[in-house]
Amino acid sequence: MEITNNKTLIKNLKIDAKAIGIPTGAAEIFINKSLTAAQKSLKSKKIITDQDLKLAIVKELRKYNTDFAYVYENHDKII
Amino acid sequence: MGTLENQPPACYNLTMSFFVSLGIVILAMLIMACLQLQPGVFSLFYHYASGKYSKARTSDITLFFILGAETSAACLFLCSYYIADFLFLYKFRPETSFFAWIIAGALLALAIMSIFCYFRPGPGTKLFIPRRCAQNLDSHARTASSRSDAFALGALSGICELPFTLPLYIVTSIEIMEMTVEFFPSNLLTILYIVIPTIPLFITRWKFQLGHNLANIQRSRVKDKNFTRIILSLIYTAIAVLFIYFRILA
Repeated sequence: MEITNNKTLIKNLKIDAKAIGIPTGAAEIFINKSLTAAQKSLKSKKIITDQDLKLAIVKELRKYNTDFAYVYENHDKII
Repeated sequence: MGTLENQPPACYNLTMSFFVSLGIVILAMLIMACLQLQPGVFSLFYHYASGKYSKARTSDITLFFILGAETSAACLFLCSYYIADFLFLYKFRPETSFFAWIIAGALLALAIMSIFCYFRPGPGTKLFIPRRCAQNLDSHARTASSRSDAFALGALSGICELPFTLPLYIVTSIEIMEMTVEFFPSNLLTILYIVIPTIPLFITRWKFQLGHNLANIQRSRVKDKNFTRIILSLIYTAIAVLFIYFRILA
């Protein structure tokens, strides 16, 4: 599965990044690097769940911006 | 046995009844302001809107969310006023105390539920509403792009909170009916009852405008989760006790 080409995921991440106040250029770099690293870390797994994918992306995003990672991790836990 | 000398004067009764009604309405306002569904949907909506639109447009459409929330509160209050009028035939009578006990029971049940069921167990601030409903609210908050969408979302979030607000609306309607019109403008109290619970939404909007983001706001909501539970439970209990003691048993 190619998560680096997942347009919906990238679009949602860009919306989150802009809302948090990360400049567009920096956000694109964070997202690309995080998705690539998440893709690498999930390569060895045969079955990947949504939760696995989310955790991997959150782990990578946390290296760049903790608020961004927190929002991506928690936006289904707000209501 | 009550002789004429032992009975309190009429003006005392009027004042006591008035202050009890006022106290119950203020406590109900506090509960409405502490409920978490509308601030949750609003903060998600503001987050998604600010990720897509300019600051001015975000500020504009989020105001319509608040207007929608206020309109739904006004409509629900009007409906509950007619329900209360129908159930209690304008004033308390012995034959209508059955309904009053049902409402008092509902308030006590909500006091217990707000401790155990208001927030779902686990991290975050997942609320009591069905998951399908929460997902719908989330997707509407994500896709809402116009003032009318925002208005509808605000109204919808008010309606979704109804299991925790309906007994409050009915109790408040009863208390406002009980207040004598010439003593205090009950219309003013009705307007305050509708507007004051939206103050948290204005505060959230103001915080976003000052530069706070969803992460900061959600962290503070998670931190205050248990406090909210306890406050909600205590106020529901207080309203139930006041209602039983001063309205049903009196």
